[in-house]
Amino acid sequence: MKKLLALVLALSLALSLVAVAGAEAPTDLPRNETMYFGGQQWGPAVGYNPLSSNMNNSMALASAPRGSRTIMFETLYMYNMLDGKLYPLLADGDYVWNDDLTEMTIAIKPAAKWNDGTPVTAEDVAATWDAAVAVKNGTYTGYNAYIASVEAVDGKVVIKAQLTEDGKPTNPLQFYNFLSATYIAQKAWLDTLLARNNNDAAAVLNDPANDVAYSGPYGPYVMNDQLVAFVRNDAYWGQDASMWGKLPVPKYIAHAIYADNDAALVAFKAGQIDVNQQFVANIQNLWEVEGLPIATYMDEAPYGICATMPTAWFNMEVPALQVKEVRKAIAMAVDYDQIIENAMTNQSPSFVQVPRSVMNPTDGEQAMYDHDAVKDLQFAGKDIEGAKALLDAAGIVDTDGDGYRELNGEKIALNACCPNGWTDWQAAMEIVAAAGQNIGLDITTNYPEWSIYQTVFTKASQTEYDIFMYSPAGAEPAAPWSRVRSFMSSDFLGVDNNWSGNFGHYKNDRIDEIIKTIPLTSDEAELKALYTEATQIYLDEVPSFSLMYRPEQFHAVNETVWTGYPEKDDGNNIPPSDCTDGYGIAALYNVSLVGE
Amino acid sequence: MSKGMRKYFKKKIFWFIITFVAAVILNFLLPRLMPGDPVNAIVGKNVSPGASPEQVQEQIAFYQHQFGLDKSIFGQFFDFVVNAFKGTFGVSYSQYPRTVADIIGSGIWWTLALQIPAILVGWLLGNLLGAVAAYRRGIWDKVLMPVSLFMSAIPAFGAAVILLVIFAVNLGWAPVNGAYDPGMIPAFNWNFISSVISHYQLPFWSIVLISIGGQAVGMRSMSIYELNADYVKYSRFLGIKDGKIVRYVFRNAMLPQVTGLAMSIGSSVGGALVAETIFSYPGLGTAMYNAIVSSDYPVISACTLIITLMVLIASFMLDIIYAFIDPRVKAAQFD
Repeated sequence: MKKLLALVLALSLALSLVAVAGAEAPTDLPRNETMYFGGQQWGPAVGYNPLSSNMNNSMALASAPRGSRTIMFETLYMYNMLDGKLYPLLADGDYVWNDDLTEMTIAIKPAAKWNDGTPVTAEDVAATWDAAVAVKNGTYTGYNAYIASVEAVDGKVVIKAQLTEDGKPTNPLQFYNFLSATYIAQKAWLDTLLARNNNDAAAVLNDPANDVAYSGPYGPYVMNDQLVAFVRNDAYWGQDASMWGKLPVPKYIAHAIYADNDAALVAFKAGQIDVNQQFVANIQNLWEVEGLPIATYMDEAPYGICATMPTAWFNMEVPALQVKEVRKAIAMAVDYDQIIENAMTNQSPSFVQVPRSVMNPTDGEQAMYDHDAVKDLQFAGKDIEGAKALLDAAGIVDTDGDGYRELNGEKIALNACCPNGWTDWQAAMEIVAAAGQNIGLDITTNYPEWSIYQTVFTKASQTEYDIFMYSPAGAEPAAPWSRVRSFMSSDFLGVDNNWSGNFGHYKNDRIDEIIKTIPLTSDEAELKALYTEATQIYLDEVPSFSLMYRPEQFHAVNETVWTGYPEKDDGNNIPPSDCTDGYGIAALYNVSLVGE
Repeated sequence: MSKGMRKYFKKKIFWFIITFVAAVILNFLLPRLMPGDPVNAIVGKNVSPGASPEQVQEQIAFYQHQFGLDKSIFGQFFDFVVNAFKGTFGVSYSQYPRTVADIIGSGIWWTLALQIPAILVGWLLGNLLGAVAAYRRGIWDKVLMPVSLFMSAIPAFGAAVILLVIFAVNLGWAPVNGAYDPGMIPAFNWNFISSVISHYQLPFWSIVLISIGGQAVGMRSMSIYELNADYVKYSRFLGIKDGKIVRYVFRNAMLPQVTGLAMSIGSSVGGALVAETIFSYPGLGTAMYNAIVSSDYPVISACTLIITLMVLIASFMLDIIYAFIDPRVKAAQFD
């Protein structure tokens, strides 16, 4: 019996080793040549197809207007949320608009090359758009309403706008998002891809593209259930003086795959992750209490750059919430300082430091509205008496003496919801519920699982969640317009699977007009007036209210192996976007080994 | 084979098939009864913020078609059965376009290599401890038994987290997670194998420690029962040596324990979930957990189908083995 057991034991161990030891050639990653990332890749990656959004390969493929990850594939421009500007990457210099904003022309850097040594051309950019249209991928879905065509004319890229009936461009602001979000693919490779899949859209999007051509500094190295890793292409074109003038410092970029946030945090503290994208409550304790070599972009709270604002949305289908005074009273009564202290552990400026509006706290956006004009509307919270007086004045009082106010004879009872396990949001919702109790509204919390939550709040119509959380558009080239739209546009009314915005289904004709006008307005004073008016409407009507400011990407570094990461006021203007996203990739050219 | 035996096996096989068919239907149906729309979640991750509602609908329709969710529930069941026979189990939703077979293929070896040795070792240690405690009494019975009982009362996730915090985080004796060092590339060399072995320790012992107690209690009471049996008294009376008596007792007390072993091996894939999730072990348990969180029906169905099959086969084999090793079963069923 014992012999048998020993045999089974040995056999199963040996089997498992053989099973995982494939015939892969790469050797192990030397720690002092590898930069490890955390919080980006969950679950195993599938492939490298830059047209597809099915690859789950987030170190290679994370395209977003707020800054695409350009270690393998590159965009025309890189967005920098610190100054709100676009910096050329594959593009040579600034884009040029024609007078009526219907055409944009962009030159391509002569030095830009694919990893096979052939130059990146305007034809590649045009082919990327054509392929997107052919397979209707995310690029097509996102920009087809604004971009009519992308053409190569005399070696330059010409992007033509979709026009409205009166010949105006539908939305020039979306061009900027396109420039920073779209990975450019090689025409020759796209032709191969389409041909080998017989132009079948689903087959093209599912192709893992292991043979893909890329222009970025890193190429594929390892992809398995535990790890994705990329190796530097030492012939990378970006070492040309017209771009970075050198190669990025780490030879390898790697991301181990962890089961969950807790596992990743343990690894980060142990120095197995260098750059971590993860919310860590009381992050300052990691260096102040535990003495770990961990740092954030700023030494002091809020530690990072907050670019988005998780928001509580009022469901306009609930009768009590159709009353403006009820919405406003709840928003006025909430103790935001407590949310910022407890839920965000002070990793957010307060609403006294950055008074509420439709803008995120970055300097660029804050300058875009007239602060004095909306001063009286900017509630800072914890105003229980004010909220009670507002309800009393509207005739919403407690008539039956049960301690809760009634509307048309019915007790106002509401739920406050967010996904289960999103602990900082849950803490915020508890505080919202407490605010309701303080002013005589029976607000209780409810935390469904995310798989259910996302199904309900994106419905065209729902009465399950009364007050619920989600974030509006964050920092991106088209912001703050895109945020105003995601807060209040009626474009998103009556549609199922609404991920775009206005989740509470609010409607206001004047706001719709403003949303239409802003993209076509270039006069700065006029723009400021429009944004100010949008802010006034938002703060007066309260269709939703932000609970905190929050970094779009958390950025914390463990300086056990690498150092020289971006810091506030270091004079480099590199945003804390995890050393890979948008202009944040500049950090990879500045880091050095500890002790060197 | 006697006539009675044939009849016995026929009956067993008949019920095996009935149970299997019912299980397949439930495996398909139950995950799909969970609330939540997996396609909506995928599209939510993919659409750019400027997307128009019509274009989002286009994406929804695309994925529904890819996953066959635009078919009726019967059509989907038909696809499920066909894919199961093909061995691909269809495509995963959350890791689309990966096939379910690919996901399971990469995880199952880790799970089996972790679970089966752990279950066997836990079972062996538990039974030894139980038998010794019953026979030797003293310190074995007064100290070791309560300690192992206490350990078995710790829930699986608790034991795993305690081991993780003490040995990996605080003492740093073992790696915190994964199946091998994150910077390693799987290869058949000593570096890799030693990394696998050191990563193996904590998840392995977290399973062993909590299974010892349960086995030991069962074995101890069975042994005490046997020790008081007439044949033991008679053997003692005859002056047979202690060692020989213990061997008799052990063999007889063993029978019900074999059932427990077979059942735990049968359910090892399901039992892997906790230890694997906590240690980020890349096995089937982790795959199943991820699938449940993301409403990935095909992966859930395939994993539960594997569990069902393993449990069914284990209990079927047990029925057969029992027929041979336990004279009482033999007497009752065959004649």
